[in-house]
Amino acid sequence: MALFAFFQTILLLVSLSLRTCQSEVLSEPLPLTPESLDVSINSAQRCLHLQWRVHSLAYHQELKMVFQIEISRINTSNVIWVDYYSTTVKWNQVLHWSWESELPLECATHFVRIRSRVDDARVPEPRFWSNWSSWKEVNEQNSLGHKASSVFPVDKLVEEGSNVTICYISRSHQNNVSCYLDGVRMHVEQLDPNVSAFHVNNVAFVRETGTNIFCEMDPKDDAGTVLFVSKVLEEPKDFSCETQDFKTLHCTWDPGSDTSLVRKQPYQSYTLFESFSGEKRLCEHKNWCDWQIAQDSQEMYNFTLVAENYLRKRSVNILFNLTHRVRPMTPKVFFKNISATNATMTWRVHSTGNHRTLLCQIELHGEGKVIQQHNASIKVNGEYLLSELEPDTQYMARVHCGDANHFWKWSEWSGENFTTLEAAPSEAPDVWRDVKSELGNRTVTLFWKPLSKSHANGKIRFYNVIVENLDKPSELEPVPIPAPANHTKLALDQCSYRIHVTANNSVGTSPASVIVISGDPGNQVEEERVNVTADGFSLSWKPQSGDVTGYVVEWCDRPQDGSCDLQWENLGPNTTSTVISSDAFRPGVRYNFRIYGISTKRIAYLLEQKTGYSQELAPLVNPQVVMSNLTSHSFTLSWKDYPTETQRSFIRGYHVYLKPKEGQCHPGFEKAALSDNSVCCKYKIDKPEQKTFVVENLQPESIYEFFVTPFTSVGEGPLDAFTKVTTPDEHSHLLIRIILPTVFCVVLIMIVCYLNSQWMKEKCYPDIPDPYKSSVLSLIKSKENPHLTIMSVKDCIPDAIEVINKPEGSKIQFSGTRNSLTETEITKPAYLYLLPAEKNYSGPGPCICFENFTYNQAASNSGSCGHVPVPPTAPSQRGLLTSLENLLKALEKNYMNSQGEIPAGETTLNYVSQLASPMSGDKDSLPTDPPVPALCSEYKMQMAIPLGLASPPLSENSSVSSVTLLDQGDHHH
Amino acid sequence: MLPAAAEPAAGDSWGMLACLCTVLWHLPAVPALNRTGDPGPGPSIQKTYDLTRYLEHQLRSLAGTYLNYLGPPFNEPDFNPPRLGAETLPRATVNLDVWQNLSDKLRLTQNYEAYSHLLCYLRGLNRQAATAELRRSLAHFCTSLQGLLGSIAGVMAALGYPLPQPLPGTEPTWSPDPAHSDFLQKMDDFWLLKELQTWLWRSAKDFNRLKKKMQPPAAAVTLRLEAHGF
Repeated sequence: MALFAFFQTILLLVSLSLRTCQSEVLSEPLPLTPESLDVSINSAQRCLHLQWRVHSLAYHQELKMVFQIEISRINTSNVIWVDYYSTTVKWNQVLHWSWESELPLECATHFVRIRSRVDDARVPEPRFWSNWSSWKEVNEQNSLGHKASSVFPVDKLVEEGSNVTICYISRSHQNNVSCYLDGVRMHVEQLDPNVSAFHVNNVAFVRETGTNIFCEMDPKDDAGTVLFVSKVLEEPKDFSCETQDFKTLHCTWDPGSDTSLVRKQPYQSYTLFESFSGEKRLCEHKNWCDWQIAQDSQEMYNFTLVAENYLRKRSVNILFNLTHRVRPMTPKVFFKNISATNATMTWRVHSTGNHRTLLCQIELHGEGKVIQQHNASIKVNGEYLLSELEPDTQYMARVHCGDANHFWKWSEWSGENFTTLEAAPSEAPDVWRDVKSELGNRTVTLFWKPLSKSHANGKIRFYNVIVENLDKPSELEPVPIPAPANHTKLALDQCSYRIHVTANNSVGTSPASVIVISGDPGNQVEEERVNVTADGFSLSWKPQSGDVTGYVVEWCDRPQDGSCDLQWENLGPNTTSTVISSDAFRPGVRYNFRIYGISTKRIAYLLEQKTGYSQELAPLVNPQVVMSNLTSHSFTLSWKDYPTETQRSFIRGYHVYLKPKEGQCHPGFEKAALSDNSVCCKYKIDKPEQKTFVVENLQPESIYEFFVTPFTSVGEGPLDAFTKVTTPDEHSHLLIRIILPTVFCVVLIMIVCYLNSQWMKEKCYPDIPDPYKSSVLSLIKSKENPHLTIMSVKDCIPDAIEVINKPEGSKIQFSGTRNSLTETEITKPAYLYLLPAEKNYSGPGPCICFENFTYNQAASNSGSCGHVPVPPTAPSQRGLLTSLENLLKALEKNYMNSQGEIPAGETTLNYVSQLASPMSGDKDSLPTDPPVPALCSEYKMQMAIPLGLASPPLSENSSVSSVTLLDQGDHHH
Repeated sequence: MLPAAAEPAAGDSWGMLACLCTVLWHLPAVPALNRTGDPGPGPSIQKTYDLTRYLEHQLRSLAGTYLNYLGPPFNEPDFNPPRLGAETLPRATVNLDVWQNLSDKLRLTQNYEAYSHLLCYLRGLNRQAATAELRRSLAHFCTSLQGLLGSIAGVMAALGYPLPQPLPGTEPTWSPDPAHSDFLQKMDDFWLLKELQTWLWRSAKDFNRLKKKMQPPAAAVTLRLEAHGF
């Protein structure tokens, strides 16, 4: 030790002596010039690395120095950078300095030189700079190789937001250089004839294949490069680790932006480093990594997650206790003992190690909502009884667990659906009835509402209806009605019945709903109007004293289409009002509400009946008005009531509109403007039951127009066409009173006359026989004398009419028919044979006969008209026969001659004028007895008789006063 | 079996109908009935021609997508860069006289070889594509191009020409040249697609020419008959 201390002292003394010596030396300027300057290039980093020495320093000498460095570009005179570098220089020390160029070093030649100066306090002033080192040329242009031009930097990778300088180098001199950055032309600065450059600030990420830079010039020499702009690497977010099984730690994070670039930079890598164990793991995935937990029960972990790409590294760190990062595994859930209202849920959480206590949350979901929430503390297996469940209902129960001691995170939810079993329906169905009596029978329609899900407790399969006759007890037979029917019809007689209705599902039967149909037809009540509020029909009724167990309000939802759709509402015994609303209610439809009281015997009796509209609407139609009792001063209007169903509102009365004749309204009418802006007179009938109206005080012979429309609280009916009526003149009714009976009488007389026309004719204007149409002519023609003709009456001029008052007994009357003539042909004179008897002879009676005697020119032999005087009493038969013979002869002779051809002297026609031939007795038989003498006034037509036929051999007992040819039945006009 | 024989079921009817259809379908294949005889390579050439037109259409869409993926200026319509690194690509352009005087065999061989190379390059391109959508499109096109290659091989076989055998170890690959800058690599991709397009144009013309050449000599017979008339 002593020896060591000795040497140490010696060295110190030497050192001090040397320092003293140096101090002396430093007091003078020393030539401490940097030497051995070497410049190297890092093209990728665009860096120049300088290294040099200061050889002049003494051994172990340390001296603080400052170095000035100059960098020139393209040529030495173009100094682009001057920098100072201060450091303490030791003997033989290699000094380093770097400079990063903004321009790629390939773009231009750079020159570097350096000089130094002592900057040590031990050296007294003044201090001088050393000489410059010689320029060091740095040239990377050889990188062009064989290419004619290039753009630098090549495939440069930069971060978003960087500033970049690009240069374009060509072997030939550049003209009209154009450079484009991703298609956008850039402003180019020409550094020398062969080099152009441009600067890009704050470059942005464009695409993963890089940003293309393309330069062209004249002459054509194109070149390009790709600038890879990477997104900035982000720090991993939400980095955490947890374990489920104490075997593996699962670490996750949010990686942030993807910084990968095609063919340039892969996706950023993630490395997990644990400092306690010193282990490292390169993660294969972008956002998670599994770390195997060692068996040595390491509790504390300090993880560092390092994200890294070519440009930068980012890291995050977490320190934790393993037991505080336990997330239990997803439980496995089962259900057991599922009943109608309960279910037991069991679950198992696999291995969390060391049987740790777990806190589990159980949720029961029904119809998409959480309806129960429970907590349970378990080790591995859990069990929970879910109660208060609804029968026949689907539920979903789920559970998740977390560490109870050091809660970290809940496990994943694990859940299952289950459905509870059915139970018997818990409530009796709501039943109502509709009774229709017809011909002593009643049709009862029972309606019931389907049970709600909570009361049905399962699927209702059928309804049982039991009808019990209260008057005649009999065996009860349930009638099942399959669901989902909601009504059934029963045909009942006039007895009282009790009806039980139950709903049944697969498990059991509901309580029975009882309703009694009384034999009593029930009372009638007056209909009242119901109030309507915004909520619906507001019904109220008088409370019933006594045994009312409740009330039922019934109505039809759809009365307008006849289907009714009966609805009802059950109300408690203390309720005396309700508001009925339904989506089915429509404006303008009258709804009738009947309120029933339900007795303790379940008999419904009608209490009140109300009617109303949910919203009244104006009438759509007007009544059909009939006008009657039209007089010159008034007329009556009458119309019928509407059917209630078609009324869209309550009719409050009617308006009678009358168009006035002269602008003045009648008393009682008031002026009113119609919807078509016309003005007329209106009479308001306030009583809706009044269906007639008498319009009075009218002017005769005037035209009036009227129109009747109902009015309601919301308006009146539509404006229809007015009906015109014209008042008659004042006396017209009198005329009618006279004319009508007169016309009636005339018509009656005419009818009577027509019916007795024959009689009248006979009486008043008998037909004059037409000799030309007489059958006599045909008979004459058939005889041998074809020249016979009938004398025309007009050709004869009677020269005398002799009125003979025939004595009653002398009148000869002939009667008979042709048939009878045939029978009497032999015995009767020929002329009688030809004369048919008068038909419908009314019998003998006193008459006056006017007779024209037949004139026979041949008989007279005078060739002129003469007359044969007939003896007034009994003409001689001889004379008559003679004349008849002459007549027949003349007829035989001249029958074929025409009238014109007949010479005046040879005229043989006889003319017999006669009116009638009173005959008596059977017309079919000749009278055998002389007729009863009767006074007759008759006119006998004259006719020409062929002489051949006019030879009536008179019977001896007949008294013939004249030759009378009677053919009243067959005469022709 | 007996009831079925006695009363044919509906299934038997369908079977008979199917049998009849099968017979009718195979009727043209029966030599005695087949009046047209061996159709020769004509239909194959027609199919190959149709395939080239279809691929042309398909490539137009694919190239658009791919060049957009490369970015400007490669997707600009008037971009015409120098063919720097694409010397290995088979050139479709040829002197017109040379093309016209090509023998059928040589014409087909050139097509076959060109598409063999282009297919390899295209598969390399597919491997480097970054997006799944693009990879899917490229794979689909490669399958179609493989079909064209098979079709050309079929025509050559029909005409009795042997398929060109690639020299061992000279399998063309389209992998990025480390010496190549990425820009040059993109230029290669651009040229690959462009050359492929040119080849499809040329092939359409090649097969159209072959098709005309292989038509049945019916027209020639007619001409001879007319000559006899003189």
